[in-house]
Amino acid sequence: MPFFEHRSYINFRMLVRVIGWLLTIEATFMIVPCVVGLLCGEHSFVGFLICIAITGGCGMGMVSLPRKSREMGKREAVLLTGMIWIILSFFGMLPFLICGTHMNVTDAFFETMSGFTTTGASVLNTLEGVPKSILIWRCIVQWVGGLGIILFTLAVVPMLNYQGGMQLFNAEVTGITHDKLRPRISSTAQGLWLVYIILTTLLIGLLCFSEMSFFDAVCYGLSTMSTGGFSNNDMSITEAGSVYVKTVLLIFMFLGGVNFSLIFKAAQGNFKAALRNDVLKWYLGIILVCYLLLCLNLWVNGLVENIKDVTIDPLFQAVSILSSTGLTEPDFADWGPVAVIVLVVMMFMGACAGSTSGGAKIDRFLILFKFIKNEFYKMMHPSAVTTVSINGKGTPPGVLMKTLAFLFLYVIVVIAGGSLLVIIGLPLKDSFFICLSAISNTGLGTDITGISGNFALVPDIAKWLLAFIMLVGRLELFTILLIFTPSFWRK
Amino acid sequence: MKIVIAGAGEVGTHLAKMLSNENQDIILLDSDQSRLDAIDSNYNLMTWNGSTSSFESLRDVGIPKTDLYIAVTPYETRNITSCAIAKHLGAKKTVARIDNYEFLVPENGSVLRQLGVDFLIYPEDLAADEINLALEHNWARYWGELHNGGLLLIGVKLHGASPLLNCKLKDLPVKAHDFHIAAIKRNNETIIPNGNDEILQDDILYFITTPPFIQEVRDLCGKKKRVVKKALIMGGTRIARRFARRYHDKYHLKIIDNDRENCETMATTFPDCEIVLGDGRDIEVLRENNIYQYDAFLALTDYSETNILSCLTAKEFGVPKTIADVENLQFFGQAESLNIGTIINKKLLASSHIFQILLDTDANNAKCLALADAEVAELQVKEGAKITKAPVKDLRLPFGMTLAAMVRNDQCLLVGGNTHIQPGDYVVVFCLSGTINKIEKWFN
Repeated sequence: MPFFEHRSYINFRMLVRVIGWLLTIEATFMIVPCVVGLLCGEHSFVGFLICIAITGGCGMGMVSLPRKSREMGKREAVLLTGMIWIILSFFGMLPFLICGTHMNVTDAFFETMSGFTTTGASVLNTLEGVPKSILIWRCIVQWVGGLGIILFTLAVVPMLNYQGGMQLFNAEVTGITHDKLRPRISSTAQGLWLVYIILTTLLIGLLCFSEMSFFDAVCYGLSTMSTGGFSNNDMSITEAGSVYVKTVLLIFMFLGGVNFSLIFKAAQGNFKAALRNDVLKWYLGIILVCYLLLCLNLWVNGLVENIKDVTIDPLFQAVSILSSTGLTEPDFADWGPVAVIVLVVMMFMGACAGSTSGGAKIDRFLILFKFIKNEFYKMMHPSAVTTVSINGKGTPPGVLMKTLAFLFLYVIVVIAGGSLLVIIGLPLKDSFFICLSAISNTGLGTDITGISGNFALVPDIAKWLLAFIMLVGRLELFTILLIFTPSFWRK
Repeated sequence: MKIVIAGAGEVGTHLAKMLSNENQDIILLDSDQSRLDAIDSNYNLMTWNGSTSSFESLRDVGIPKTDLYIAVTPYETRNITSCAIAKHLGAKKTVARIDNYEFLVPENGSVLRQLGVDFLIYPEDLAADEINLALEHNWARYWGELHNGGLLLIGVKLHGASPLLNCKLKDLPVKAHDFHIAAIKRNNETIIPNGNDEILQDDILYFITTPPFIQEVRDLCGKKKRVVKKALIMGGTRIARRFARRYHDKYHLKIIDNDRENCETMATTFPDCEIVLGDGRDIEVLRENNIYQYDAFLALTDYSETNILSCLTAKEFGVPKTIADVENLQFFGQAESLNIGTIINKKLLASSHIFQILLDTDANNAKCLALADAEVAELQVKEGAKITKAPVKDLRLPFGMTLAAMVRNDQCLLVGGNTHIQPGDYVVVFCLSGTINKIEKWFN
């Protein structure tokens, strides 16, 4: 009988096997930069061949290990999700070490983690002379991390198409509750990836019509759709790009911040679901308010020189930050204190749950705002019965509690992370700003890093800390922090 | 195949879990979110919060593309309404759980079919049937009939008196191949035996045979035939009432229940049964009611623990056959290893019945369940399959499977070493859970 089957505390063999699968997939993705290197005649392709051999070899080796049972409980799922992101970052940093960018381990790991979590904070001082294969690898890392490495695995590896996969899905996908598009977990994952791939292809296609080269179009396509924000040349896209490029990027950054299951439903012809969605309305509303604030600020500060300055530029800025992409206007530093604080609030909020964006997610704020409104109402009418209704459905108290706990924890992590950075020796303002930027996966910096976020000057130990905070933010706190609670390990 | 299950009660939940492990697309629909939460995060299926009889929520779950709609809420009328709506929205087949025997009467069936209900399941009726089979064949632990009784699957627990004990399968004391030992259950583990496996005391052997050889199997197991005339039922539950209604003229029944109102209702409905008000857990009550004179004791209360323990008490009193209703699946294995005759479980009965319906709608899926961790599959042999290449003994079949029997031109035959399987035959295969995919390769 299955009830009495002896079960080890943690099914390590199963974990190793799944990690093996993921490494094999990562090695497959490495083929792309390798081919790019070969086509451009760069020496780095040899380096990539070595990376593929190492990653693929380890992966295959782990997959071929025997396993006893494929049973996977909650504990394994949480551990696996956390471990996978870390292990894949360690293997993903190999190209940065081998392929001629002269990075040390700390920088390479920071860069890779920043890519996987779609933070987009870079340690590269200049992109001059960096091989193209490395540039595309950075973008691929972001693109895969954007929707989720595990989600990709769920879509392609049939082995996980059972209840264990369900646990992994819950541990990785962002949001308070998780919509399933289809009954089976693999078809849900396939559906989400299909949306993602189609949108990315569309974006790359549209970018090809601009003055950009095909290579840049692909890089910006991958990097924007995943709301990552790695730049491809030293000149920021906002500086060099035409209005056309900015508009296209703007639209897709916006889409990157929308819940993908809504896009999936809309693509199937179910527009009602999108129109009725409260979170989407709020998302639009917040963008509008932030845009107006930024415009007002520009006008008050006398920075308005032409029509572009009050239309596309502030709008681009608002969407870029809210969707946690982190592409910035070149003169943003001069926009003044109001702009900075609007930016901080936007970083904190993030876009819709179930998208590739970071932050604490509008969904949670929406729930809590309505909850607070109810609390005020109840003070005047003590016997009133109120519910927090989102999209016409009541929110159970459990979800409400979880949301409260999440935001409290979010603040704690920002404060703790910021304090540690201060202790390490960063200025007070920088510390908290960078910490918030890391946890919300935006990748912006302030004074010492420069607004577009170059983290080369940050001390090594702070880089490790920030990389960890990024991961905590990407997996929405609980998954990673749970591993560090004593009760997780207590038998 | 897309299956929508309406009602996340015991039967619905069990069915959903089982089918989701069978690679079906399952949507579980219920109006109570808390019931769905537990299953949603742990199983590979989709849950949907909505009323089972609302057009809107049925459209939302995509009924028009559904192959099978199963309504298993506790309320019969709601199930029927819900099936009718689903059918009109385009579900291919619908199944409703019912609670009223009148629907099962053939001449009333057309009314429901017009409404759009294709199949009915009545778990209590299935349980009553199962109890009757167990009483008729009271020497067996498990009695299953395939192909309208053409093939029999009999599970027997071996005690001291059997000549089979300590025999290896290859030197069984039989001349002809009249039966197969398809599986052996030993200490919570199911073995698919080969010639070198030995039969030990307290094993449960699963025989597959054809009706003429039942007696031979029984003799080999050292069991005697005993006719059950008088049965004592503890607990006037739905199963008990259903059993009493169907078989009150076949057996002499006495029902003990501790609820006065229930007893009075039963006394009016079943005038030829004896109804006793009392607590069946009380030994004095059992003694007063002459428990030692009964041929069978049926513990059918709603509490699995009570049923298991009462059956053990009844065995102490010397009742030859006891049957317990065990609804907690966790207790199922424990109860089997105890000395209780037959165990019935409404959920398993209902779900295997629905499984059978599934088999009929989907020809590619050929599994049916019988045992806890082994599967009994009925596979159709396709043209040019590997298994038709040679007689069975020359095939080098993989371990862990038994080709038990086959059906050729509506005739049930046992498979022996010299049998040469032909395309178009249906073969009954025993295998351990999870190995079925390997075995299917031989048939395609």
